[in-house]
Amino acid sequence: MPVEAFVLPKSELGSFVAKLKADYEVFGPVAKGPKFVFGPVEKAEDMRLDYDTTILPPKKYFHQPEQDLMNFSGVADIAEGKKPVGKRVIFGVHPCDVNGLLSLDKVFLGSYPDPYYKELRDNTVVIALNCVKPCEYGFCASFNTGPEADVGFDLSLTDIGDKFVVVIGSARGKEMAAGLAAAAVEDLVAGKRALRACQHDMTRRIDVGGDLGEFLHQNFDHPVWMEEKEKCLACGSCTAVCPTCYCFAVKDMVDLSLQKGGRTRMWDSCMFYEFSRVALDHIFMPDRTARLKQRMYHKLTYYQQQFNATGCVGCGRCVATCVKHIDPVDVINRIQENPLPAKEVTLYRPPVKIVHTKENPWEPQKAVIKAIKKQTADVNTYTFEFVDPQVRESYTYDNGVFNLISIFGIGESAISISSCADENTGTFDHTVRAVGNVTNALAKMQVGDVVGIRGPYGFGWPMEEMKGKNVLLVAGGIGLAPLRGVIKSIQKNRDQFGNFEILYGSRTPDGMLFTDEYEEWRKIPNTRLYLTVDYVPPGVEWGHNIGVVTTLFDKMTSRKENTIMITCGPDIMMKFVVLDLLKRGWSPEQLYVSLERRMSCGIKKCGNCQMGPVFVCQDGPVFKYADIMNLPGGVF
Amino acid sequence: MAKPKIAFFKFSSCAGCQLSVLNIEPVLLDVLGAIDIRYFVMAKRENHEGPYDIGFVEGAVTSPKELLELKKIREECSVLVAMGTCACFGGLPSIKNYSGFSQKELEEKVYTELWDLKSFPAYGIDYYVKVDYYLRGCAIDLGELVTLIKSALKGINPRFRFHSVCNECKMKENVCLFLTKGKPCMGSVTAAGCGALCPSLNRPCEGCRGPASDCNAASLARSFVEDLGLSKADVVRKFRKYAGNTPEFSKGAEAV
Ligand SMILES: Cc1cc2nc3c(=O)[nH]c(=O)nc-3n(C[C@H](O)[C@H](O)[C@H](O)COP(=O)(O)OP(=O)(O)OC[C@H]3O[C@@H](n4cnc5c(N)ncnc54)[C@H](O)[C@@H]3O)c2cc1C
Ligand code: SF4
Ligand code: SF4
Ligand code: SF4
Ligand code: FES
Repeated sequence: MPVEAFVLPKSELGSFVAKLKADYEVFGPVAKGPKFVFGPVEKAEDMRLDYDTTILPPKKYFHQPEQDLMNFSGVADIAEGKKPVGKRVIFGVHPCDVNGLLSLDKVFLGSYPDPYYKELRDNTVVIALNCVKPCEYGFCASFNTGPEADVGFDLSLTDIGDKFVVVIGSARGKEMAAGLAAAAVEDLVAGKRALRACQHDMTRRIDVGGDLGEFLHQNFDHPVWMEEKEKCLACGSCTAVCPTCYCFAVKDMVDLSLQKGGRTRMWDSCMFYEFSRVALDHIFMPDRTARLKQRMYHKLTYYQQQFNATGCVGCGRCVATCVKHIDPVDVINRIQENPLPAKEVTLYRPPVKIVHTKENPWEPQKAVIKAIKKQTADVNTYTFEFVDPQVRESYTYDNGVFNLISIFGIGESAISISSCADENTGTFDHTVRAVGNVTNALAKMQVGDVVGIRGPYGFGWPMEEMKGKNVLLVAGGIGLAPLRGVIKSIQKNRDQFGNFEILYGSRTPDGMLFTDEYEEWRKIPNTRLYLTVDYVPPGVEWGHNIGVVTTLFDKMTSRKENTIMITCGPDIMMKFVVLDLLKRGWSPEQLYVSLERRMSCGIKKCGNCQMGPVFVCQDGPVFKYADIMNLPGGVF
Repeated sequence: MAKPKIAFFKFSSCAGCQLSVLNIEPVLLDVLGAIDIRYFVMAKRENHEGPYDIGFVEGAVTSPKELLELKKIREECSVLVAMGTCACFGGLPSIKNYSGFSQKELEEKVYTELWDLKSFPAYGIDYYVKVDYYLRGCAIDLGELVTLIKSALKGINPRFRFHSVCNECKMKENVCLFLTKGKPCMGSVTAAGCGALCPSLNRPCEGCRGPASDCNAASLARSFVEDLGLSKADVVRKFRKYAGNTPEFSKGAEAV
């Protein structure tokens, strides 16, 4: 298709912008001290189209540093108060940033499209400005994300001296170009030459001569990472300025009524120590090397694996902003000088699952507590029913998936469904340990109280795979909750499964869940239940095993042949369960684990649950061990 | 629910944090409606004995008398908040700990009447008692104070995040003082929460909110010397100013 091209003489830029101003709010690059930022533009002269780069990328107009998700009143009612989004033009976006937006589109407009991002994107015209001079730290040519933008704009401009070559990228752009003179052949040639010269002058480059992802996976333990860790301040500036970073935290804020307020998401960063902090102050990525690698690997390979989109668009901002001059180009070059021996690596590929919801995926549905059953001193099982009959009827789930329980004013928590997918009664159970803000607030609630719930999310246990096979179920502590549905499903459809054994461990006898159901489980034909505790307090009677759950492996009758093992419990328990079974000759193909990470969204947006390239919320939480065992950072 | 009983106490400090509490006027009246301030010598004539639901302690502890008082306060308060950097880390009073002078020499430098004076190095209050929450800063951030009070009223942990000031500075798109102007800004290793107040006013961060979580002060200290040409003494002064007692900033002071 021949490109449709026009010219805009620089002398007419003023009137062009003035015309835009009639219909749009216009933003463009403006000076801030010796640097540049995108800001509101009154007239063309405000803009500095000779800018090199801006402190923050234009991402800030789409994935805003703070985005209100909803207002609320009380614990479950959504209140009015949405701010309208006006029509905007972002003028002079460099190709790297145009591509940054295209990458963000994959995150926000793919599975579970984000209505806030979408609205801002739909209402905004992007006028790209191709680069005729390399910026100090840019290396966009490495990834084909500059110096010329191919797609992702409504109009693109190329400076050829006294005028711009204007290329049309959309119908909306075409309307805006109405009245411009067509470009002559020599204008097009001048444009191409300018861009080629820029590409030529760009000396910074990442080129490993092969697949960058494979190269990085091979060099995961390269000494360079330790050197960078010693330098890195963990300040997070690099992620704050990156045009493709999407990670955010979600926070509820209340006014002094303590009842009314808003739920907001705000940029967060994997470079921060507290990014992976969960209840009881457990931190999944406490080590700065791991965080630095998460950032670099995410940009240079994981993003591609996750979204099939460029994670680094080579804008150079992370280098420009880093007090320690930590630079992806330099790091890759140093590895290349002295790479680790090449070896066979398999890169993680997530399961393909695109979910489109008509409703706003962020809005919890009201659900009423129908029953509460005490399990242990700090664990209750709650039976919920959606208030809206339509929601109630259309709600189905698989064993092992989870919901987000929302209490407005406090927050949301990811909680597995502990009832059985095959018993569709219009209600469902959650078995929750009170450990922090949301879970303690839930513990104070009573039958008849209402909370918000959204879900179900993720992949559950491999029920289909298990059919016709023996099943070994290994659980620890609260980890029995997401497995309870499996037990009931096997009970219901007993003939579809082979031999069934349940191994359940807890720290102490009084920490065991669902104790009143054990008799029933034992009565399931061809089923055995083994119990163990780490410790029996003096004076407590205990007729079962003492020791960690793996000590039951010598007692069980399960053998590796034709068996699927499913496990959920603390990471450390699952680690030893998996290692022990592998030692006994079981295959990673027959082991399934349910993982836990920090979760703020459940819909593959907030990045909190990332474990290398894996999104635990949507690629899991249940994984076949074989699929994740080769993750560069390991699983446990 | 009965209004929570609140108390404010002061040890070795400038009273600036208490003063800023009085400055939340626009919301103070509403806050006052929700809480019952039982003890606040700076603000009220009538003060009541404990116990209290929440105690806010300003100032470092640097004398046996203060220590005794602190222990009593801890017993009287269900929730204890270290209010301001002096109470959190020792703050400006803790500069003396690293001055190279003995306690006695310090006393002689400052006071003329020495017969009744007993002092020891200045530490934050969690050196001696358990602290539930920290309001960092010299002075504290009022937004954080109000958030803490609201959280307490709701019975939740405010879950403050102590990542870097740089992050807030980037959100404001400030021109980086370190990289562009060569100023020894400590924002990269200092805990956020102030909204990058100083850098936004063109002043380098002084580190008043203490170390950001898992910060790398040693690396910044090296950059102060290697990139900006600061002397060793300058670097030590920077890291020993507000939170020199913390292991994190000590690493900065000891790195060069
Ligand atoms: C897939 C999945 C399934 C889970 N299933 C169960 C279950 O069946 N029963 C149960 O008792 N617990 C379960 N958890 C753990 C549960 O999510 C946390 O205990 C809970 O979020 C703590 O929230 P809080 O507000 O009470 O704690 P706080 O410490 O106050 O946490 C504040 C916020 O941090 C996040 N967060 C804290 N801890 C976790 C965590 N462990 N995982 C993810 N995000 C966290 C949440 O956004 C939470 O709102 C599950 C976690 C995951 C990821
Ligand atoms: S900007 Fe530099 S020092 Fe700061 S977290 Fe990123 S890599 Fe580390
Ligand atoms: S990683 Fe750095 S160079 Fe790459 S897109 Fe992000 S900020 Fe730009
Ligand atoms: S995980 Fe990736 S997107 Fe998220 S903050 Fe880190 S580098 Fe950015
Ligand atoms: S991406 Fe938000 S919880 Fe997984």
